[in-house]
Amino acid sequence: MAGNDIRIEMKNIQKSFGAVKPLQGIDLTLYKGECLGLLGDNGAGKSTLMKILSGVLIPDQGEFYFEGEKVSIKKPKDAKNLQIETVFQDLALCDTLNVANNIFLGREPVKPGSRLIDKKKLHERTREELDKLGINISSTKLVVQNMSGGQRQAVAIARAMAFQPKVLILDEPTAALGVKEVNMVLGLINKVKKAGVSVILITHRLQDLFEVCDRLMVLHEGKCIDNRTIDQYTLESVIKSIMGNPEGVPVS
Amino acid sequence: MISKEKVENNNINMGQYQFNTKLFSWFGEHKQVLSIFLIFLIISAYFGMSTNSFFTSSNFMNLIQQLAPNLIVVVAMTFVITTAGIDLSVGSVIALASAITAILLEAGFNSPITLVIVLLAGVMVGIVNGYISAYHDIPPFIVTLSSMIFIRGFALLLTGGYSIAIAKEHGLVNIGIGTLFGVPVAALIAIIIVILGAIALRSSRFGIYVIGIGANEESVRRSGVDTRKIKLLTYMMSGGAAALAGLIISSRLGSGSSNIGLMFEMDVIAAVVLGGTSLFGGKGTMMGSLIGVSIIGVIKNGLILMQVSPDIIQIIQGMVLLLAVILNIRIFGNRRK
Repeated sequence: MAGNDIRIEMKNIQKSFGAVKPLQGIDLTLYKGECLGLLGDNGAGKSTLMKILSGVLIPDQGEFYFEGEKVSIKKPKDAKNLQIETVFQDLALCDTLNVANNIFLGREPVKPGSRLIDKKKLHERTREELDKLGINISSTKLVVQNMSGGQRQAVAIARAMAFQPKVLILDEPTAALGVKEVNMVLGLINKVKKAGVSVILITHRLQDLFEVCDRLMVLHEGKCIDNRTIDQYTLESVIKSIMGNPEGVPVS
Repeated sequence: MISKEKVENNNINMGQYQFNTKLFSWFGEHKQVLSIFLIFLIISAYFGMSTNSFFTSSNFMNLIQQLAPNLIVVVAMTFVITTAGIDLSVGSVIALASAITAILLEAGFNSPITLVIVLLAGVMVGIVNGYISAYHDIPPFIVTLSSMIFIRGFALLLTGGYSIAIAKEHGLVNIGIGTLFGVPVAALIAIIIVILGAIALRSSRFGIYVIGIGANEESVRRSGVDTRKIKLLTYMMSGGAAALAGLIISSRLGSGSSNIGLMFEMDVIAAVVLGGTSLFGGKGTMMGSLIGVSIIGVIKNGLILMQVSPDIIQIIQGMVLLLAVILNIRIFGNRRK
């Protein structure tokens, strides 16, 4: 891919918590409209890396480039301003609010000249967002706590997408979901990709990777040990990489 | 390898989860309020049958005038508790407000200035409560428990333990004893505040954030909302509301004293919880709180009309409250989370 197709570059990212060094100089490149699968065993540093990218943690060392420009990400707001959105597995939704209020939380349309929410517009725009992603939820007034895991995850992704992100980070979006729901979430990822959004996917379900990812990056003990396009992998070689023994491919 | 086309062509359909939600969700949403309203009707009907004077307009006027301070504070407390917070200091703020009112009026301050100073004092208490609990992450139970003790002590210091008379000539006392078009001024103020509170909780950004903070504060924070500011605002509201309630009570009593408003916070918190607001936050309705206040007020009022001995009124009150909550949770299935 050409250089101007690069959305994000992270260079030499290092982070340590005392004696624990979860990240020891990691480079990450993310292209426009691609889905990058981020892999690694527990403690390999995937979540730490994503927390750094979404501004939750600050790295000890390292540089960020966003579409070629050097930027600094020091708090969640910085990441949001760069249109980097993250869907965390647990922290996503307010259970007692309805679908529309969750999706537009913090950006509710208000009636002109007042601070009251324009509920008609809110529900219309929620419906538009859901339709755009092909999410079928009977009512935007449904309270989230009464919904299934898949529906909740769909709402969480719709909420991230409503911010019109350029980068969407999904941390274990299919954990604890049923088969149909997993397919729905994977379908969403492919739709989002088609809209030009770059996606970073963290998952333990290796079979999902082959359905949505264009490239895989494997972390092992704080270092990147494998980084290839998806067609160079088989399920077996992915497992070998995660175990720390990539199949004779030079580390890039 | 599984083909990508397969997933892309997979029609995303969650049809099996659809059900007729409209009627169901209306009942679901209002189940708690409906059941507590039913309990209120049963209690009222009982007193109506047991006494001749319960269902009279004069008793009704008397009741809403008496309940006005509770209503005002309960509106603010509903916001505080819905964020999963608590404000135990409202009873003490009432004492402080009554003390300041009496002292300022006696010292020759005019009514408008006294009103402003008293309300500001209440809001200041709210700022301190809210700032310490929201910005420094100290549990609000501890913060407001401390200020509850501190502020009543401060009111005691101000009054020197005496009850200070408030003369009826001051315009300000109309807030407690005046009427407008035959309706007590205090009741009018309370009704306006209840309506504004209900609109704010249901239909404003602030209200949605209050509920959201109670449900999942981190989620609201990550949506770019300054959740600490929202929580601070709720404590400012409860402080200001308590000061207004203190003005009304002390105007009605014609005196300011550090003993006014003892246990007031308990009545208010009981009303909010009875009305279905979760102490763990995330769930609250103004209508429920309104009915909660009414139940507590009606029990006291009805027992007095029945000429039950004052010695056992509190015992019955406590038992009926517990029974109402048990009924609401066990019979009507409104489990708190």
